[in-house]
Amino acid sequence: MTVASFQGSASQQELAAEVFQLMTTQGALFAVDAPIRQSLDNLAEFLSGKYRRDRNEIAADIDAALTVNDQVFTREVTEQGVLFITSRQGMYVPRSMVDTHSFKQRLHDPEHPLPVDDISVVVSTSRPAITTVEPVFISDYWQVQAGMAPMTAVPMEAMGHASMVTAVPVSPEFVAEPEPVVVEPVAAEPEPVAVEPEPVVVEPEPVVVEPVVVEVVPTKPEPVAAEPEPAPVPSKPSRETTSERNSLVSLPEGLTINLSLPVEQILADQGERLEQILVHRLDQDTLRRIVSFGRSYYPEASVTNLGKNDLRRIRDYILERNEPLLDTEIIADLYHHLPRQADYEGFRFSLNYRLHREKDFEFVGVEGARLWSTKGLPPIGGKRVKAAEMGQITSYLVEGADNSLELQSAEAIHSTGSITRLLTFFEWEYGVLPFDASIAALIPTPMLPDQRSAVLRFDSPQHYTSYLVEVRYPTGNRGGWLQGLEEYFRDHLVPGAMITISRGAEPNLFTISYEEAAESSDRLLTLDEKKNKFAFANMSYFCAVDADQVPSQTRYGRLKNLKSLPMGERRKSEVVLEHVFEVMGEQVGSRSEPRYLLAMDDLLLAFNVLRPGSRSLLEQLLAHSDPFSNHADGRYLFTPAPRDEDNTPEEVVEEEDLQPTRRRFGRYSDDDE
Amino acid sequence: MDAKLIVFGETSLDKLLQWLRSSGEPKDIREVLIQYLQILSKSVTEDSE
Repeated sequence: MTVASFQGSASQQELAAEVFQLMTTQGALFAVDAPIRQSLDNLAEFLSGKYRRDRNEIAADIDAALTVNDQVFTREVTEQGVLFITSRQGMYVPRSMVDTHSFKQRLHDPEHPLPVDDISVVVSTSRPAITTVEPVFISDYWQVQAGMAPMTAVPMEAMGHASMVTAVPVSPEFVAEPEPVVVEPVAAEPEPVAVEPEPVVVEPEPVVVEPVVVEVVPTKPEPVAAEPEPAPVPSKPSRETTSERNSLVSLPEGLTINLSLPVEQILADQGERLEQILVHRLDQDTLRRIVSFGRSYYPEASVTNLGKNDLRRIRDYILERNEPLLDTEIIADLYHHLPRQADYEGFRFSLNYRLHREKDFEFVGVEGARLWSTKGLPPIGGKRVKAAEMGQITSYLVEGADNSLELQSAEAIHSTGSITRLLTFFEWEYGVLPFDASIAALIPTPMLPDQRSAVLRFDSPQHYTSYLVEVRYPTGNRGGWLQGLEEYFRDHLVPGAMITISRGAEPNLFTISYEEAAESSDRLLTLDEKKNKFAFANMSYFCAVDADQVPSQTRYGRLKNLKSLPMGERRKSEVVLEHVFEVMGEQVGSRSEPRYLLAMDDLLLAFNVLRPGSRSLLEQLLAHSDPFSNHADGRYLFTPAPRDEDNTPEEVVEEEDLQPTRRRFGRYSDDDE
Repeated sequence: MDAKLIVFGETSLDKLLQWLRSSGEPKDIREVLIQYLQILSKSVTEDSE
């Protein structure tokens, strides 16, 4: 603003301009419309010094000049004197506090309000999505009553007494009394029970509350011992009961733990069950603070992480070695960790834990030998037998038809660490052994709950060879078996040989052996896979055999008439049994109504040509199936269901053969070699 | 601590975790159970004293 823009005389204009410049300089950093206040006294003080004039005189001039320019300067009279207010924009406009554009106001007072009858648009009738639970303070008293908080002892010192008062639960009506509890003078009296109580500072006021049970703890026990008849302390048994009750932990599973007992006793009584419960609870922990692998537990935060590169290296190494590897081998060869290092066991746990969570790896170890397999390794035992089919074929073992412990008890197997068993044709042909009870007593159990197989190493000390054997554990209603011994059986043994399997130095090491004998030659049953037919062939062997169990042509010539049924058919034990009867049985019926007689031993041998089966299984089948019955001579009789197509020309022709056997599957077989 | 307030497998699990971490190596479940029972017994005993 220039001097000319002010009102008044020339001197007043100059003075007003100077004051305006002073005040705007003072508020140079103010907002444009922010008020700049200055008192008349300050202005007069400053200008009187500057122009060496009388202070009152120049104050009057200033007041006059600024009052004339009231559009620029606002004059206010306050307790501190006269104030002039202006702003950088040349005038002072008081700020209006009236809010004419408030969201709150627009929300509650809309310009175009909706009709009141449509209340749903104003008030929501739905509940809020998340209900907040406000914390409610519950006093200690009610927590004790409800068993939510431990009972605490109330020191009598707080009431001016040296002894303690047992905080037994008292009735609410007494607690509701706001009056102070005053102890009866009985504690102050030197009675024999309360031995020499210290001087008690007790107000000699009358007793107000009686029902509170007071226990006086003796501070000097000697005089009590000197007393011949110590008076009973009434509240002590209740305290012991309370303590015992407070150490009982009830578990939802119906167990109760008394934590006042020694830990050893608790473990002896219910250690196994508590282990299971603790394992379950740790697995259910949402934070997964403690993780496990097998029976080992470790903090999740301490588990070493393995990246994709680590997993790839491990997988490549297993594939390079072409067989499942121990975790210790992987650690030593890839990570160069030594067992003497402090973090070795932790790292070993981490490796196993991480690999177990990866789908590309499969745990095939046992307790004490943690082996890892991966995708791409060649299958152990070949592919002649499919796992699904074998699981169903050996299901009789989990259905109670297992008599493998008749000759050798599980305790004996545990103690000796070895089993001896007869080798059947099916086992010899396919290199499998059913996972019966005798083998289960010898082989380590699965280490992990979801483990389906394990890989063992069978050494043959007689031939200095070694074989990887895969154990397929029974799952659900499917049986288990061992596979991978086909080469050993075919190279060194014949059906009917006795083999011995023994534990080795490591949990996953076993030895397999047989009793050697002089060379023998015979025509024995074989399976021609190309023709898919059984046949007899000359074979030489050097092992001791059970002559009755050797499928030789001289004794069991009809075995070659067995049809090599597909594995899908062999799962049906009744079908196999009927087929064996028809092929191996003695025909005792007529042409139109054939009946077959067969002894159990022959039946068992022939049945085990097509599939594994125990004597118990056959006995169950014979006892519970209508076509089978006992014969007077101890053999079993099979009466096939009558067929409509009897007396066909083909049947008449075949009747002349040595053993006409009509197959269940609609055609006849001849006995020609 | 009052034994009534103990939830087996949840209460004092942080102390068990601390012990497991300080040991520096995995522990068999039987050892873990023994330690956990000792922790619970101690907490109950300290309270009763």
